[in-house]
Amino acid sequence: MNLPGRPVSIATERFTIRSHVPTDASDRWCGWSGDPDIMGPLNMPARRSPRDQLAKYIAQHDNDRNYLIGIYSKAMGQHVGFYQIDVGKLHRSAGFNVVIGDKQYWGKNAVNETRAALLTEFFERRGLEKAWGQPLARNFPMIFNYKQQGWRLEGIMRGQCLSIVDGSRLDQYQFGMLRDDWRALTKAGTKS
Amino acid sequence: MSAHATATRILAGALMIAEHDVPRDARLGRVEQWDSLAHARLLLALEENLGRLLTPDEAVAIEGLDDVAKLVDAKR
Repeated sequence: MNLPGRPVSIATERFTIRSHVPTDASDRWCGWSGDPDIMGPLNMPARRSPRDQLAKYIAQHDNDRNYLIGIYSKAMGQHVGFYQIDVGKLHRSAGFNVVIGDKQYWGKNAVNETRAALLTEFFERRGLEKAWGQPLARNFPMIFNYKQQGWRLEGIMRGQCLSIVDGSRLDQYQFGMLRDDWRALTKAGTKS
Repeated sequence: MSAHATATRILAGALMIAEHDVPRDARLGRVEQWDSLAHARLLLALEENLGRLLTPDEAVAIEGLDDVAKLVDAKR
């Protein structure tokens, strides 16, 4: 499990970010998968996952080509959310996905604070040269996060996927960040 | 009411501040209350004002009060 890569372990001002292990599967996390407020913006069905199934899902991530990285509050020690990152080794690129399950952290810059640390980790220590994210066009909070952090809008993918609610076709954005962009942003002090 | 005044009212509601506290040059990232949830409230309130959904091009282009005012003005 969780082989062969190097697990992530980083601290930011308010959070600890570390690669998940199967024993991190919790009722709290399982509850997020059953919450339509959390799953809806991801176009995923709100269906509570059994804990053992979640543990198996965590174990599929090898910290090399794919990562499942937890966000934990330093103050309370609570699990706040997680990143799922898929790395394309050939092209040194990665897709970043994030879920903030603890609603107390919505609108509190949890995404950009933690993603800033992860971008630096992946660009400077894991050989990544390009990061991208593909939020649904109706996921307005996530659009804010990408724009505020300085990601570049690279395109609008019309009718990219089917809605799990009504079968209509949904638009998605692609936002991208090159390593050089990130270095320039961090140098300018506008990283999160 | 001018488009700018309507836009100010919409933005103030989204940011949950008084209209006179909205800077004329208010922009995403420069106003403390303009966080991700406020941004969602803004876009939804704007859609309500326009009576239609924003297109993906419109939604992603909104970065400041002027952008909101332009959309309100275009409705007239």
